[in-house]
Amino acid sequence: MKSLFNIIKEQIGSIYLIQRLAMFHIKIDNRNNVLGFVWEILNPAIQMAMYWFVFGLGLRENNGINGVPFIFWMLAGISMWFFMNQGILDGTKSIYQKFNLVAKMNFPLSTLPSYIITSKLYGHLFLLGILMILFWINGYWPSVYYIQLVYFIAISYLFTFAVTLLTSTLAVVVRDIQMVVQSSLRVLFFLSPILWQTERLPDFVEPYMQLNPFYYLANGYRASLLYNEWYIIDQWQLTVYNLGVIFLLLLVGSAAHFKFRNRFSDFI
Amino acid sequence: MKEAVVIKNVSKKYRMYRSKKEQITDLLLPGRGGKNFNAVEDVSLTAYEGDVIGLVGINGSGKSTLSNMIGGIVPPTTGEIIKNGDTHVIAINAGLNNELTGIENIEFKCLLMGFSKEEIKRVTPEIVAFSELGDFIYQPVKKYSSGMKSKLGFAISVSADPDILVIDEALSVGDQTFTNKSLDRMNEFKENGKTIFFVSHNLGQVKKFCKKVAWLEGGRLKKYGSTEEVMAEYEEFIEHYKKLSKKEQEAFRKETAKRREG
Repeated sequence: MKSLFNIIKEQIGSIYLIQRLAMFHIKIDNRNNVLGFVWEILNPAIQMAMYWFVFGLGLRENNGINGVPFIFWMLAGISMWFFMNQGILDGTKSIYQKFNLVAKMNFPLSTLPSYIITSKLYGHLFLLGILMILFWINGYWPSVYYIQLVYFIAISYLFTFAVTLLTSTLAVVVRDIQMVVQSSLRVLFFLSPILWQTERLPDFVEPYMQLNPFYYLANGYRASLLYNEWYIIDQWQLTVYNLGVIFLLLLVGSAAHFKFRNRFSDFI
Repeated sequence: MKEAVVIKNVSKKYRMYRSKKEQITDLLLPGRGGKNFNAVEDVSLTAYEGDVIGLVGINGSGKSTLSNMIGGIVPPTTGEIIKNGDTHVIAINAGLNNELTGIENIEFKCLLMGFSKEEIKRVTPEIVAFSELGDFIYQPVKKYSSGMKSKLGFAISVSADPDILVIDEALSVGDQTFTNKSLDRMNEFKENGKTIFFVSHNLGQVKKFCKKVAWLEGGRLKKYGSTEEVMAEYEEFIEHYKKLSKKEQEAFRKETAKRREG
């Protein structure tokens, strides 16, 4: 519990640092490309087009889902995925990749994953902006439910941070964790209703699918952007469950982080 | 006089593995795979406020490990280091990014060193002036020569204002005029009463700059005292060591290496 407080204190004390380093990170990442930051959008756009082609046109013959065209349904759910997938993968690498950069300074090490995640968040917000415009053009107007979107963005960020706090520490000790994380993410991606509806599965399977946090997040984004429902309240059991998962991850992650922090240099 | 740094029976052990298999064995059954290497063994010394202490010794004697432990980069295996004040390690090449320009790197590295927004604003012009880079400051660092890069790194590093300073081979940067400028800056630190640990192979610099010298050999503190006293003996040892034949030098190294195992 004490470690968790220390992590929170360190994060809040470093907000300016995190945000500036995130900007630098985007700059460094894109400087060598002619199109620069555009790739942060172009890459997911191409992937989304392919998923729509295969899962929307190919498998569903472009049928809508609860009155919303498949393409919009998919876009609203998947935008969160690109952010979290990239955030968790790069965040897990962050400590062992960047440790030498900051080793000789008194650097708050728990901000390494958070600045990487924050840099991904900027791309996410930009992408979300473009998607919103697309939704507006097609008649899905902004509503009071957008307040809920803020909550879901925050929860996506928190969940990503909670996971990477733990995995970035473990990856320093055992590098294989990176591979484990990568595979797990792929499994969770296909087991969540991002590209297809889990409702089509036999009834007894559905509750287990809901244990996957991406289930809650994907549907939360959709409820806020397209369906105009108070998903947080309608599915309050899921809200409680996911907040619990995040809290638990933060608790374990911060304890692990502080346990190994002093010895990172021995493992790198 | 107030104590600035107290080093109490500090040792640093590293585990060394010859293969992945040894490493995994050691992870599962601690102590069954790999060997110990005592980089630093049972070193104790006290530095008072305003002390300028040179760390000398031949390659591999544990100078860098000890200075890293004082700087807080590496934790000791046993023993403890008590510090009264902020510590800063002058690390020239750490924290620079090749893709960013000089001026961007100033902000970048200052952020990493823990500067606030206002502090960065304040020190940036000073750093630009000190680095002598002129218009190159707006070019990406990857276009710099190694000397220019070091000058920038050094200029940023010395903009910090800590109580305890660790300098590891930092003054061999750039040409003679820049070295003199760097030495001036170091003397400024000294005059301001900072406690300084200075690691160098340049014995002339150590003699000129330091008040005290700690001589490390094979990870142990061989002698600690005033500069004149220790350096006289150390120089004698270096002369003697140089005169040894290659075989004898190797025998000497092997003997100390053996002692450091286990």
